[in-house]
Amino acid sequence: MPATAPAAAPPPERDDGAALGDRLGGRLAALAVAFGKVGLFGFGGGPSFIPLIQREVEARRWLTREAFLDAFAFGNALPGPIATKLAGYVGYRVAGWLGALVALLALTVPTILAMVGLAALYVRHRDSPWVAGFLTGLRPVVIGLLVYTVVAFAPSALGPLRAWRGNLLRWGLAIGAFAAAAAFDVHPGLLILAGGLAGLLWRRA
Amino acid sequence: MSELLELFWAFARVGVLGFGGGPAMIPLIQVEVVDLRTWLTPSEFLDAFAFGNALPGPIATKMAGYTGYQVAGWAGAAAALAGIAAPTIVAMVVLFALYRRHRERDVVQRFLYGVRPVVVALLALVVWDFLPTAMAPAGLRWGSWPLWPLAGAALLLSLRTRVHPALLIVAGGVVGWLL
Repeated sequence: MPATAPAAAPPPERDDGAALGDRLGGRLAALAVAFGKVGLFGFGGGPSFIPLIQREVEARRWLTREAFLDAFAFGNALPGPIATKLAGYVGYRVAGWLGALVALLALTVPTILAMVGLAALYVRHRDSPWVAGFLTGLRPVVIGLLVYTVVAFAPSALGPLRAWRGNLLRWGLAIGAFAAAAAFDVHPGLLILAGGLAGLLWRRA
Repeated sequence: MSELLELFWAFARVGVLGFGGGPAMIPLIQVEVVDLRTWLTPSEFLDAFAFGNALPGPIATKMAGYTGYQVAGWAGAAAALAGIAAPTIVAMVVLFALYRRHRERDVVQRFLYGVRPVVVALLALVVWDFLPTAMAPAGLRWGSWPLWPLAGAALLLSLRTRVHPALLIVAGGVVGWLL
């Protein structure tokens, strides 16, 4: 694990959506392109879109890493598909309700069209080794990208990795939460709540 | 019209009751679509699920759109998509508005100080849960060892370069063809 953050964090986000540059039309177009890409390249099951959303959001300076982590926390504490929640949230921040709608449609509509349009083709070719081989090869890449996401976000959440001794509470929370979820299937919403309460108690001292 | 409302309602229930992301919602979708209503037969549902997994994009909304289309055409697809996505996006935005109003407060900062490590753990858990699917797919006679260097290469390229993740994903798929 590298000792420093792998990439420089972008400058802080503007609080006011109107300060994000461009007129409304430009921001909506940027949202459509960004989440269209996420929808089209988020292959291989649930989590593959996380690194893609992170990349789009950071490259366009829509959210800081902390803000993305907070959004991910909200998303995990609420029900519903996480990709659409993140898309709606980012879209709303960038361009209000219209932005949320554009991000949602860009993320979902192309693949729904493909699903409806290509279903017959799939039934004919479902046993083709091409489809299986493609998915087999890209899933490990998604693992690599997800590990990168964890490494990239760790300093925002846990403090500088070299200074782990000074951040034992935060490391303990992370390891404890991972163990509780992996071994006992504890609900993520509960873990987030427990982490927040631990933060409240700790920083009072 | 009642069909569209029914689609919206069925998928809104899935969206509001389904915690843990899209894949965790598949059983809930099955209950609404196959068991409670006869919108799809069990084998149609399985085919749609398998096909949906071979396509990019979030799986829960693909299943919603596909079912909606089968039941009531494009209006049905729109109703089902609105049902599964809209309630939780609204909840997310309301939470965000509260967060923006209060995030400078000390109590919120302290809460988030404890929340962020948990979120990193949840991200790591996504890796953990996805590992068996990704690294040990069944029925590969050459075994799954080449998949590990593939994952390592993707991680290394992400750390050292600014190559776009979409490019890496497609490159991985092409390597999968060649293997």
